[in-house]
Amino acid sequence: MKTKRVYLRELAHARSGDKGDLVNIALIAHDEEAFEILKQGITTEILKSWFEGWTEGPFEIYSIESIHSLNCIIHNVLQGGGTTSRRLDAQGKALGQALLQAWIEV
Amino acid sequence: MVKKSKIEKVSTATPSVLIGGAGGFWGDRTYAPVDMLTHNDLDYITMDYLAEVTMSIMSKSYSSNPKLGWATDLERWLKKGGISLLREKGVRLVTNAGGVNPVSCAQMVLDVACSIGWTNCQVAVVTGDNVLSILHSSAKEGEQFQHMFDKSKEPLLHHDEIIAANAYLGAGPIGRSIAKGADIVITGRVADASLIVGCMLHASGWAQNAENESLPICGPIHSWSEKEEQESLDLLAGWSVAGHLIECGAQVCGGNFTNLPANVDISDISYPIAKISFDGSSIIMKSKGGGIVNRASVIEQLLYEIDDPSNYITPDVIVDISMISIEELGDNQVKVSSVSGRIPPERLKISSCYHDAYFITSQLLVPGPEPLAKAQQTDKILRKRVAHLKDIIIETEFFGAGASLPLGLRKLLDKTTNSNPREILVRWGVSSKNRQSLNVFASEIAPLVLTGPAGVSGYSARSKPRKQLAFFPTSIGRKHVEEQVEITFIHTLRSEIEERYPWLKRNVTTRIDNVMMNSDSRTKLAVARVIRRRLHMPRIWKAVN
Repeated sequence: MKTKRVYLRELAHARSGDKGDLVNIALIAHDEEAFEILKQGITTEILKSWFEGWTEGPFEIYSIESIHSLNCIIHNVLQGGGTTSRRLDAQGKALGQALLQAWIEV
Repeated sequence: MVKKSKIEKVSTATPSVLIGGAGGFWGDRTYAPVDMLTHNDLDYITMDYLAEVTMSIMSKSYSSNPKLGWATDLERWLKKGGISLLREKGVRLVTNAGGVNPVSCAQMVLDVACSIGWTNCQVAVVTGDNVLSILHSSAKEGEQFQHMFDKSKEPLLHHDEIIAANAYLGAGPIGRSIAKGADIVITGRVADASLIVGCMLHASGWAQNAENESLPICGPIHSWSEKEEQESLDLLAGWSVAGHLIECGAQVCGGNFTNLPANVDISDISYPIAKISFDGSSIIMKSKGGGIVNRASVIEQLLYEIDDPSNYITPDVIVDISMISIEELGDNQVKVSSVSGRIPPERLKISSCYHDAYFITSQLLVPGPEPLAKAQQTDKILRKRVAHLKDIIIETEFFGAGASLPLGLRKLLDKTTNSNPREILVRWGVSSKNRQSLNVFASEIAPLVLTGPAGVSGYSARSKPRKQLAFFPTSIGRKHVEEQVEITFIHTLRSEIEERYPWLKRNVTTRIDNVMMNSDSRTKLAVARVIRRRLHMPRIWKAVN
């Protein structure tokens, strides 16, 4: 079966934040249909492939049905945390928007 | 006497309480609290100044100057009319601006109040979050201080230079401070949402109950109410969520918001107000001004910096938002309900930091043609020139070529876009245990302009290495912390000092706080001795000496 490329920004909006050395990225689906696609497409495997080079994980995904949202937790991604990261985006604030540029095949 | 009638109004008849969240971090817009107080009739205004990284920053400034270590922005807006508004409108202020030095912060607040003639302003300071001095004694009793998320890391006490360690206190001491009559409550590290929960403990009468029954000032605060345990926990959870939603300031009003409608102006963005009910639900709205509060903006903030949504741990309650209901009421009002709570854990989170290394950053502009190739070449040349420095870690970022994206994501996106950028900003972030190595590295940046690829530009003065503090989250048994938590009213502290050392009054005509700043060493010593005994804060001793 032929798959279709769907950009995350067509499915959801997002916000990211830090806690120690982890970043959480909330993906909030625009509607129920988008939420179903998101749940199918966003897996710990795909997060692992996207975050290659920055962290090996672990990765966790929590689903909150009543607000059509996924909360993605990416561990060990900030070079020790916001105060020790050598990157400009030391707290991963830009990572939510980063994810919205990606796509999944459905 | 405005104040008295307010207390009665809030604690008996009012079905809901208006709490403003007029700041999300130290550095947020200082006009916000003054603006919010001007345009609204609030019951309480809260200001959260402490991100995780803030405690590390404050610890650094405290170690260079013992009068600092608190959020100095508080002084700026109080002096810009904030203090008069608090007094005139009878609004209580609750803030964690105290950072790692809440006593100095509270001294300042009373000074500012006195400067407008509000000499009986009741400023309460909550201390006891600082656990630096009890790390070793509690380790003897079995505390291990392992890293909260990564047990494979070396435990905290294996690090030589621990700069700060603060436990996250809950809402208890805040509620009790207000019940004891505080107009302004200054705390150090408390959980962000607890600022708001503390106000609710007072508004609901729970704190007064606990006061009347002489219950301990910290947890378990769900037992302060006469309601059934589960009902109390659900209320605490609902109030915590309301607190979480407004403690990051304008982030719930259209700031940092993916779905900002094109017609919404955020240049004069307003800050949030929660109308919190005694059934645990709340309505999130905004102050006068730009921005937007809708279902989407509330959900983005709801999920900000949390992990497991059914297990959001605060010192007051474990919050479960997995069944949450979020309902748009229109007119920038959103109702939040259906949150449940569980008994909080026996351990409190500690935010600590230790001196890890030194750090510098440098950047250069690399123009086209082929800017990425040239930027990579520049980086290669630089790395060759500093190859003899074996003790540095270099991170190079090529901005304009996807530096803000993790590598895997960058590869994915490169499949669709192959347009060459017009220029690249190359940035080096370098850390080392050895400050001198970083000085050598810094000295190699500017020369690249004359000795590197064509057109490289944008250098500035050699950057100076700064101390890098590593953040280390860990935990501690509640009892170690809770037995040292105290509420002190700054006035009481002063009169106690005067009583005990009457010669202070004879010899010095200025107020005690001025004594602290200006007097001779003998006087300082006496004051310090009393304060040290009163607050169990060894740092004060150091501070006034």
